[in-house]
Amino acid sequence: MPRIVYVLPDGTRREVDAAAGTSVMKNAVLNDVPGITAECGGSLMCATCHVYVDPADAGRFPPRADDEEEMLEVTEAEVRETSRLSCQLTVDDTLDGITVHVPEEDA
Amino acid sequence: MTASPTATPTVDLDPMVLFADPYPLYAQLRRDTPVAYVPAMGRLLVTRYEDVVTVSRDWETFSAREDTPGPEHKIIGETLMSFDGEEDHLRLRRMMDAPLKPRALREHWEPVFRANAAALLDDLAGRGEADLFADFATPLAAMNLASFLGFEGVSAQQLIDWCKGIIDAGGGYMLDDAGIWERGFAARDGVIAATDAAADRVRGNPDPSMISSIINSPEPMTPQQLYSNIMITIGGGLNEPRDVLLTAAYGLLTNPDQLAAVRAEPSLWKKTFEEACRWVSPIGMFIRQVARPVELGGVRLQPGDKITGVVASANRDERVYADPDVFDIHRKGPSHVAFGGGGPHFCIGAWAARASIGTIALPALFDRLPNLRLDPEREVPWGGFVFRGPLAMPVRWDA
Ligand code: HEM
Ligand code: FES
Repeated sequence: MPRIVYVLPDGTRREVDAAAGTSVMKNAVLNDVPGITAECGGSLMCATCHVYVDPADAGRFPPRADDEEEMLEVTEAEVRETSRLSCQLTVDDTLDGITVHVPEEDA
Repeated sequence: MTASPTATPTVDLDPMVLFADPYPLYAQLRRDTPVAYVPAMGRLLVTRYEDVVTVSRDWETFSAREDTPGPEHKIIGETLMSFDGEEDHLRLRRMMDAPLKPRALREHWEPVFRANAAALLDDLAGRGEADLFADFATPLAAMNLASFLGFEGVSAQQLIDWCKGIIDAGGGYMLDDAGIWERGFAARDGVIAATDAAADRVRGNPDPSMISSIINSPEPMTPQQLYSNIMITIGGGLNEPRDVLLTAAYGLLTNPDQLAAVRAEPSLWKKTFEEACRWVSPIGMFIRQVARPVELGGVRLQPGDKITGVVASANRDERVYADPDVFDIHRKGPSHVAFGGGGPHFCIGAWAARASIGTIALPALFDRLPNLRLDPEREVPWGGFVFRGPLAMPVRWDA
């Protein structure tokens, strides 16, 4: 079971053991991680699942697809190199310990 | 017919009372029987925010496939709404939502929406009074819809008639009469002809329209899928922007402090739009069928049970919103569920509605018609619960 670490804007860490094949968004919602509202439930229609992948983990996920890139244009919080829509990030055992940061404005 | 499952609370609701004002009844259901069987509808009504979101997102348990499709199926056929979250649904959705995403809206449709609003307001400006329902919100929504569908040469009135033909034939609260079906089938034939004409124009010659996106996609829809999905887009893409525009205008006109706030701080238009969606949700409910045994809101559900997720009620749930019956553009709280509670059927028109109404039509309306106010001598009638909004909105301004 890959573990996902969510770092909240105030620095609090929330660790979740995720089933392989599920998304970083889904695990946040199931575990009430604040700041990841995921209004559209993963349909790539909202950008309210925005996270920053920890720089140390950059490159562990496949790159953004076009339609993810497009929705990142309408996030509330600032978009950075490490910005991703967490509904598009699927975890498996190779991604154990992956760390993402929840943006300030969404929280 | 589903029988009422054992031990499920049963509540008699009168559709006429719901039509007049469903909100007091929803408050009662949320408090006492958050999952209740309603014999008049033959369905279980789910009324709390949390449960509505669950039903909306968990498509493997709450399926959009119904084994006895509603009356609108006779006219419309299978659409995005007849699938679940599987590959094929996503493939069809992509063809339809791509032309309505934020980038496409900014590049192609916002200027068109702006021109449509300006044309109507220029015509009205000198009159000093109007019915915002008939004279602005309805034709605007129709013109915008015709634009992004790719219907050239189809008048606003034509599209309004087709939309009404489709909706009335499917409307749960309409009486079954022969004329309704006749008009429904006539609407279908009109939509098919207009879709064929648009498809011929854009085939191999793409433009930014939805029909072009479908026709020119690598694996296009079958003709029947195309017609059905254009019909559902007409049925679901005209009345809702109209209603949210009117609701937002009403909210501001009856709360002058909020109107002053949004005029001083234009970034609040966005919040005004979202609050109007929450306060009176244009589409009040969505339907699903239980696919596997599950417990929801303390009630045991069985495969085959028919569920209605009442987004209008979820959006007034006192568990998540303070003073939920009050219109307040400064409100805090979770996102409303007026576009659905998230999941595979989340509204594909959400960004188009935000842009056309929230970003464009509302500010244009208040800018162009000085001292806009409700006509003090006339009422604003409201109606509906499957769909709800003002049925007329007489206003005056300084011409
Ligand atoms: C304020 C305006 C609107 C509201 C409140 C609204 C509401 C909704 C809701 C609640 C659903 C989900 C139904 C469900 O979960 O079963 C939905 C789906 C849908 N909406 Fe909208 N809608 C609006 C505007 C539009 C517009 C402008 C279009 C035109 C493109 C549109 C087209 C659709 C379609 C095609 C679906 C079905 C999506 C699917 O099943 O995959 N809507 N809408
Ligand atoms: S949940 Fe909406 S885009 Fe990710």
